[in-house]
Amino acid sequence: MSIPNIEQKPACTTGSLGNYLWSDPPKENKWADCVHCGLCLEACPTYEQLGQEQHSPRGRVHLIKSVAEGKLFVNEAFADPVFQCLDCRACTTACPASVDVGGLIEEARGQVRQAMPLTGWKSMTSKFFLETLFPHPERLHAAGSLLKFYQKSGLQKLVRKTGLINIMPDHLVEMESIMPEVKTPVRKKYKNEKVIKAKGETKREVAMLSGCIMDVMFSDINESTINVLTRNGNDVVIPKNQTCCGALHVHAGDREMGRKLAKQNIEAFKDAEKVIVNAAGCGCMLKEYSELFHDEPEWQEKAKEFSAKVEDISKFLYDIGYETPKAELNKRITYHDACHLAHGQGIREEPRDLLLHIPGVEMVHMPNADRCCGSAGIYNLTNPEMAGAVLESKMANVPDDVEMISMGNPGCMLQMAVGVQKHGRNQKIVHTVQLLDWAYQREDELGGGE
Amino acid sequence: MVRNKVKTNDIHIINLAKLVSSPNAILYKEEDLLAYDCDGFTIERHLPRAVVFPKNTEEVSQIVKYCAENNLPFLARGAGTGLSGGAIPLNNEVIISLVRMKRLLEVDLENRRAVVEPGFVNLKLTNSISDKGYYYAPDPSSQYACTIGGNVAENAGGAHCLKYGVTTNHILGLEVVLPNGEIIEIGNGGIPDSPGYDLLGLLTGSEGTLGIVTKITVRILKNPEAKQTVLAYFDNIEDGSQAVSDIISSGIVPAALEMMDKTAIEGVEAAAFPVGHPKDIEAVLLIEVDGIAAGIEGQIEMILDVCRKWNVREVKAARDEAERGRWWANRKTGFGAMGAISPDYLVQDGVIPRSRLPEVLAKINHISKESGLRIANIFHAGDGNLHPLVLFDSRIPGETEKAIEAGSACLKVCADVGGSITGEHGVGIEKKEEMRFVFNDEEIIAQTNIRDVFNPDHLLNAGKLFPTPGRCAEVKRELSSKN
Repeated sequence: MSIPNIEQKPACTTGSLGNYLWSDPPKENKWADCVHCGLCLEACPTYEQLGQEQHSPRGRVHLIKSVAEGKLFVNEAFADPVFQCLDCRACTTACPASVDVGGLIEEARGQVRQAMPLTGWKSMTSKFFLETLFPHPERLHAAGSLLKFYQKSGLQKLVRKTGLINIMPDHLVEMESIMPEVKTPVRKKYKNEKVIKAKGETKREVAMLSGCIMDVMFSDINESTINVLTRNGNDVVIPKNQTCCGALHVHAGDREMGRKLAKQNIEAFKDAEKVIVNAAGCGCMLKEYSELFHDEPEWQEKAKEFSAKVEDISKFLYDIGYETPKAELNKRITYHDACHLAHGQGIREEPRDLLLHIPGVEMVHMPNADRCCGSAGIYNLTNPEMAGAVLESKMANVPDDVEMISMGNPGCMLQMAVGVQKHGRNQKIVHTVQLLDWAYQREDELGGGE
Repeated sequence: MVRNKVKTNDIHIINLAKLVSSPNAILYKEEDLLAYDCDGFTIERHLPRAVVFPKNTEEVSQIVKYCAENNLPFLARGAGTGLSGGAIPLNNEVIISLVRMKRLLEVDLENRRAVVEPGFVNLKLTNSISDKGYYYAPDPSSQYACTIGGNVAENAGGAHCLKYGVTTNHILGLEVVLPNGEIIEIGNGGIPDSPGYDLLGLLTGSEGTLGIVTKITVRILKNPEAKQTVLAYFDNIEDGSQAVSDIISSGIVPAALEMMDKTAIEGVEAAAFPVGHPKDIEAVLLIEVDGIAAGIEGQIEMILDVCRKWNVREVKAARDEAERGRWWANRKTGFGAMGAISPDYLVQDGVIPRSRLPEVLAKINHISKESGLRIANIFHAGDGNLHPLVLFDSRIPGETEKAIEAGSACLKVCADVGGSITGEHGVGIEKKEEMRFVFNDEEIIAQTNIRDVFNPDHLLNAGKLFPTPGRCAEVKRELSSKN
């Protein structure tokens, strides 16, 4: 938009980006699409909570632009709205011009992190998780084993019983109490198998992103993913050199690390024709790798080629025409749209379709199903207060009379489990692909009995 | 009570902070105020002195009293989706944001009314009562986000106002904080047509210059028994315009009768909610009829007959509610969609007699050619309410000014054929000079005299709605010397 005294103060051009002093700043062509109409306001969970425009999508875009225009500096006041954003992308869905607010936010965070590097405790924890742990599968698995030991040894019970748990901050206690039981990661389990063969005739080969948290906390979902893939004629490979997708790093403003991980994944999957992902956040990141390489055209090309191969498991199954299960599950289920599936990748109908075609499944409508649950990567750890408020709004929409809440993202699963626990409900939190897998299993059991 | 801590030497900020009780209810640092320097009209930008977030009428009243006693300019703001700059703090105002007063206070189905706070979002009202078979009729295109308080201030219209009337036809009662802080109620508890002067009519559409609305009683309607929506594509915009004129003169009152021209179609099809309009047509009409089920088919047939008479290329009816919804999303996001084909746009809001439509469109086309700026037309054709969207790029020196000139020229055309300069967006900052196209100085002064009864010190939303003094002041002096 225009600025006052337009003659004296020419608006910025791509060549001069005002107070953005580092490489890879927010891109002008992204905010140029915003005409400030405000239709995004009600879509934004943080605006819903705070009612303040600097915490709304158009307000944030306005501030991001203001830095480029030299009216604002990259400082605390800028960092606050930029980091309060859940990066849930609901605004992009609501926006008539599809302004890429998420992309702008991530680029702005990159500037903030370079201007104001994290210090002290925050820096240590962030470094530990984002640099020391997630990118290294062997360390993650070791941490997973520790977690498993913690759960199996009785230590977990002891901690809960003795009240030792009460020394943890509230939101960490919530997380601890809903941690799923840790099983063997698929990367460990299948490490000696080059290809996991399809059951029956092989129709194609696909590669699978095993994910970092997914494989440690939810390896059974990875297992289910492999089951439904092989059941539908797919040979599955799990490339050894793959690593964390980098979404958490990019969300946190560490774009350098994001690029490093992206390159490693692009290389690791270079022989794959399809890359199947079962975590919405990871899938969205993989599809957006090219955004990280505006200054490296060669990698940008490679990233685009790579992203074109990436597909979410639900959409992939839907597109190939998967086998509909025949056994009945007899469950009342509601579906929660993970932001990075619905808003990030435009995948809404496919997972619902999968569920609807499981015999005996009764789908119950969840109002505002595509409203963020507050998980938003590690947002629930970095902004617990806002994440909690957003979760409360979410839970108010979850129907009471269902047995299961299905979704397609591990972060949402943990967060929704906290919500269910907090509200004293007894709904099971499941991944869409698990339900399909269970239906197949039941079919096999019943078939075997005939 | 939450105390709002502030770190400043500004005594007014310190005192205002004491008057609001919800958390983080005051913004005063420059960086925090930037997001409030404009609304949906982005050409003028000014920082407010502060933004306060009262949570009830009493707090609004206290804030207003404080401002009045201390000579601080102030104004009310809702979602800030207004298109004429009504919520822009021209005079470093204290902005009283009403977005935290967003409760639906009462739904009275028996008497078909609802009571809402001003920050309640327009569409939420319909969503809250639709399961019971009711809705709130005024439906501005920004209804996903705009507040009913703002709708009252601007007397907002919308696609369905052709049949059902604009906001003022749906307001039954208001609670208002006057510019001195006094709280009054008008509209006699929602009983329609109370005796005495029509103060509801005066307040509705006063663009926030007479008082701050803090509670609103609105009329709600029963959902029509049936509705049907059709699209009609024309190869020639004059044919489309003639069809509009003939549909209305045939005696049918459609619920909505919308038109988009070729450039507008290019925009909406390039944006987030495309529906596959053919790229090579000159105009599309979106027509909706509603009412008793038995009458719908007949009305549609009559409309189609008219369209055929005017060489329509293709007509199609919405197959289901989902398709109808997509067509409306495509139309209602039309302004924002311009972002997909232009970095900036300026939307105008002229009204003309329907019979002059072809002539006016030709003149707007001429203005576009003269200025070298593209102009898209999206409009409520049925009631002659045009929205020429002047597309420009503010980064190119001089283009903003050119766009403003082109917009003004469009309004001149409307005024010259016996129309008006605003149908629903309000005058605000944007069109105050153009008020001279439709009112002479005496008429303007007659109106500012009314404003002065409510707002004598001009602290509330000053500098809006009427042309800046100067010529006016001279005439005023001249008039008073005559008396």
